Amino acid sequence: MPEWARRWGWELLLAGILIGVLILNVSLSPFYLGVQNVINTFQLSIEKVIVAVIMAFVIVNGEIDLSVASVMAFSASVLAALHAAGAPFGLAVGAALLTGAIAGLFQGFFVARMGLPSLTVTLAGLIGFRGAARILVEDQSIGDFPEWFDRLGQDPLVGRLSFGLLLFLVGIVVAGIILHRTPFGRSLYVIGDNSEVARFSGINVARTKLIVMTSSGFVAGLAGVLFAARLGSVRGDLGQGFELDIITMVLLGGVSIFGGSGTMVGVGLSILIVLNIRNGLGLARFAITTQTGVIGVLLILSVLVPNLVSRFARRRHRGPGPAPPSGGRTTDQGGDLRGREHESQQATVE
Amino acid sequence: MTEPGPYLRASGLSKRFDATQALEDVSLTLHQGEIHALLGENGAGKSTLIKIMTGIHAPDQGTILVRGEPANIRSPADAQRHGIAAIYQEPTIFPDLNVAENIFVGHRERGTVVRWRRMYREAESILATLGVHLDVRALASGLSVAAQQAVEIAKAISLDVKLLIMDEPTAALSAHEVSRLFDQVRHLTETGVAVLFISHRLEEVFEIADRVTVLRDGRLISSNPRDEVTPQGAIQDMVGREMADFFSRSEHQAGDPVLRVEELGREGIFSGVTFEVRRGEVLGLAGLVGAGRTDVALALFGIAPADQGSVDLGGRPLIPRSPGHAMRRGIAYLSEDRLQRGLSLPQSFTSNITLPTLRRYVSRLRLLDSAAERAVADRFRRRLNIRTPSLRTPVERLSGGNQQKTMLAKWLNTQPAVLILDEPTHGIDVGAKAEVHKIIDELARSGMAIILISSDLPEVLAMSDRVLVMREGRQVGVFVRSEATQEGIITAAMGAA
Amino acid sequence: MSRIGPGSSERVGGSRRRRLGLQPERMRELSLLAIIVVAVLAFSLVFENALSGRFFNRVTTSVAITAVLAAGQTVVIITRNIDLSVGSIVGVTAYLTGEYLGDHPDAGLFLAIGVAVLIGGALGLVNGALVAYGRVPAIIVTLGTLAIYRTWLIEHANSQNITADTLPQWLDELPRASVLSFGEFDIRLTFAVAVLVVVVLQIALGRLRWGRWLYAVGSNPDAARQAGLPAQPLTLVAFVVSGALAGLAGFMFLERFGTITVFAGSGLELASVAAAVVGGVSVLGGSGTVFGAMLGAVLIALLDQSLLRTPQVSEFWRDAILGALILAGVAADFLVGKRLRRRWAESRRSLSLGATSERGAVTDA
Repeated sequence: MPEWARRWGWELLLAGILIGVLILNVSLSPFYLGVQNVINTFQLSIEKVIVAVIMAFVIVNGEIDLSVASVMAFSASVLAALHAAGAPFGLAVGAALLTGAIAGLFQGFFVARMGLPSLTVTLAGLIGFRGAARILVEDQSIGDFPEWFDRLGQDPLVGRLSFGLLLFLVGIVVAGIILHRTPFGRSLYVIGDNSEVARFSGINVARTKLIVMTSSGFVAGLAGVLFAARLGSVRGDLGQGFELDIITMVLLGGVSIFGGSGTMVGVGLSILIVLNIRNGLGLARFAITTQTGVIGVLLILSVLVPNLVSRFARRRHRGPGPAPPSGGRTTDQGGDLRGREHESQQATVE
Repeated sequence: MTEPGPYLRASGLSKRFDATQALEDVSLTLHQGEIHALLGENGAGKSTLIKIMTGIHAPDQGTILVRGEPANIRSPADAQRHGIAAIYQEPTIFPDLNVAENIFVGHRERGTVVRWRRMYREAESILATLGVHLDVRALASGLSVAAQQAVEIAKAISLDVKLLIMDEPTAALSAHEVSRLFDQVRHLTETGVAVLFISHRLEEVFEIADRVTVLRDGRLISSNPRDEVTPQGAIQDMVGREMADFFSRSEHQAGDPVLRVEELGREGIFSGVTFEVRRGEVLGLAGLVGAGRTDVALALFGIAPADQGSVDLGGRPLIPRSPGHAMRRGIAYLSEDRLQRGLSLPQSFTSNITLPTLRRYVSRLRLLDSAAERAVADRFRRRLNIRTPSLRTPVERLSGGNQQKTMLAKWLNTQPAVLILDEPTHGIDVGAKAEVHKIIDELARSGMAIILISSDLPEVLAMSDRVLVMREGRQVGVFVRSEATQEGIITAAMGAA
Repeated sequence: MSRIGPGSSERVGGSRRRRLGLQPERMRELSLLAIIVVAVLAFSLVFENALSGRFFNRVTTSVAITAVLAAGQTVVIITRNIDLSVGSIVGVTAYLTGEYLGDHPDAGLFLAIGVAVLIGGALGLVNGALVAYGRVPAIIVTLGTLAIYRTWLIEHANSQNITADTLPQWLDELPRASVLSFGEFDIRLTFAVAVLVVVVLQIALGRLRWGRWLYAVGSNPDAARQAGLPAQPLTLVAFVVSGALAGLAGFMFLERFGTITVFAGSGLELASVAAAVVGGVSVLGGSGTVFGAMLGAVLIALLDQSLLRTPQVSEFWRDAILGALILAGVAADFLVGKRLRRRWAESRRSLSLGATSERGAVTDA
């Protein structure tokens, strides 16, 4: 296999899938590729795609954050509750953003400093922060935000682009640069692949994880505030179930659930695929709930297919010949529920 | 006692891995009731031999007869069927199950229902025959290595093992524990079990073995009854190679001291280590595995900091807090574990080399300057003669020797004042080994201070200006180059003549 | 000659750890029981009828479903996996069983339960096959099937609810059926069934070879492979058990509420994980008991029911408290287990540090 195909194989596959989805959708509606429709497609899921970008960091780093949707709700609820209590609105927004960051820092402490598995910690977060949101807004719907805030969430800001969409576009580019072009991004990959190697190379693993988990919380909080602005009100069930779409976007994008690999280009493509599939299903008059099921299938396939392909490739590859000299690595998982498959295939180059 | 006879007869076993002939025409007979010791240097082929007998590797050539019948051992399960079991120095136990369960967990013939009381009784009686007092109801997670070892032996007994292979079972045991283990092993042989015993402690081998076999470079050198072997003779058989086979250091003058270590220690691990390394000097660190050599390195590199003594680097005191801190002060540590601690396998050749020094390759805007990164990687590729298809190739696709040199490049690029090399030539082929030796020599000549931890004794002797020997966490001697001999160092390291 | 560091002399027997090491699970269960008792007493100060039979009946009724789910969840977590799909399996089985009973009004209790368990088991089989043979991490598989099963139900139901009036009469009376009564304290049938499930599973996990193997696989997968244990079939079985019990819970859901919407059972997956973790089931696999998970479920049900009756605190505190409980459970597990694990790790340390694959020594140069 040529080098470029090895490096970009998954992204090419995604691009192919995307084109297929687009063709299908255009056949359903000839106006599908209109600029406004494309913008609307994003606008309807803007919070998810923003969080997907930071989720890519978390998963590359070898962790997972199941709590993002609940953190969104929590920080939006802080905003709503403070607003309802008569606090200055700027303060409410600031407090909401801070809430997200603190929620992330809190979970990050357990993961990075205490070494608890992120899966369990953020599962507790998923329940707990949702609960915190409910304590604040109970079963009400709190709205009546200042007009500028609602407009920020709903109306175009520059040209036809809303604030959220601009934020996403700038965000994914900046995120891509950070992930692929900075020392910090490089260290995320190495930690996700093998945190011992990172530690023995002088990288502060715990601090890096803390930063990533905190950022995840902050971005989720930001997405919660955006959601509040777009809907014009906050309820306790805001964003419920979003983690499914968000994690699917990241894994389908070729980020390994085991950490240490994946590209922001892949995540970008997979975001487009997920959005367009949802949109196409909508055009074909499938209910939102049906779309969710399709995303679930996509999530499983995005891990299952590469697994099967690599197993098939290995079987073909094996054939006669000596076993690799120092084959499988075993890493002590230190306890996440995700069983890792460790196979280092060593093709000798001499 | 069963009638002693050959249990397993291996003849003409050969195995080749890529460039290395791991085993060449080795024949061996293991008798019932006999303790057969296997000696050999690192890479002599002991592991390969064991792995063939336990079905992990298939031999390229040769046959194995069990009780006179040809045995086709293709998997650990096959081995078990032939009554062969192996105990490694790191026992494989289930920490959440109790002792009795650990002994019987693999038994399928014991029925669907676990009869706890019977199991406890049987476990107790097996342990009792071994003379081990263990609470069979206690969770295995609380057991010491020695106790886990006993559980493994009990497991072997319960499986009715006829050939027990013990791969350095004493490496992590105290003297007291070792003598208990030996009682257990002797008990096994009394019931007719054949034991293949691998150890690096000669005095142990001579205490327990009935027969001593020495492997070297994949070949069988000697195999004699214990009474006909002397420790000196065994050492000679093991070492064999002449010093002339090795790269010889060029003559040079050591400069000023760079690193001074004074009474360094870490509670319960090592203590009282005192040495200095000068510019342009190679200090060898010799000793048995577990003697604390790597622990000294980890203390200096800030992974497992020392809690006693002092370190002085370049005239300033140093208390290494973290690897990053040690690196900034000019210490580099090349880990012995290439795959677990050395390289990020899916990452490219280039990014592995620049990993510790990434912040040097940032342009304005703090972005990585990949051209600069590649330039550095390319320089090392040429300087160290590293064969890689491209600078972007993931290191998992390089050969062991080239991976090792990549690691060397990674640490050289930090431009350290003190370079600690931990088993830098372990598991690489002869050619690559010679190249690494040449690089070490060049580095020393350029004025770097080098600490060389190696279990390859000829290597230590050939490369070092002085050799510090450790035993059981303590420094037991320093030999200058002119006085150092293999025999002298072995004697010091083992604490016995 | 005294070797340094690990495994040194005095710990040959490991007997110092014995008392602690022997029964950490019992200790966990006892402390949970204590917490439950204290909680009941505390609540009795806050509202009047905390010690009454009515309150007891309410708690036991509501605990039944969670306890059954937590039991299944425990089996899965023991193998170092997780099953997030149980909430959807409850919904699907409740709905389909309701439908079946609507169509076959003369079907009996056992047939109905059989249908529910069979459907649940089949859905669990899908999960298990993907995890064990597809090698997709359980969290991904069950997060996916959580959505997929629910979606299928919504499609299938076509906005029709199951309502009590389509169900046979005996089902309607089932929730109030009691096995035993002590004054106003009833042991309701559903609670009795839940207890029965817990007892049976507790015995099976403790006494059956396959039960012990489930623990072994979760405790040390590498060693399990070396010992030749059938790790993949065991994982499959764990998910099938979890699915089947979710099916049973689905039936209980049906008989308890009578009306089944397409969203029936949503969120129960979280409650089941919470109950198991709070009950001392280690998320690292290999340890924990079904009985502990049941106590976890009781504690959660108790909180639920009490919050409804505590005017000072709104019922909306439920999830926040649940999240905190899980975190506390996991953290406690780690802190308590930490010393043991550190010993365990350190006893292996010098090996791994000194070690190369051939474990060279001087003579092994």
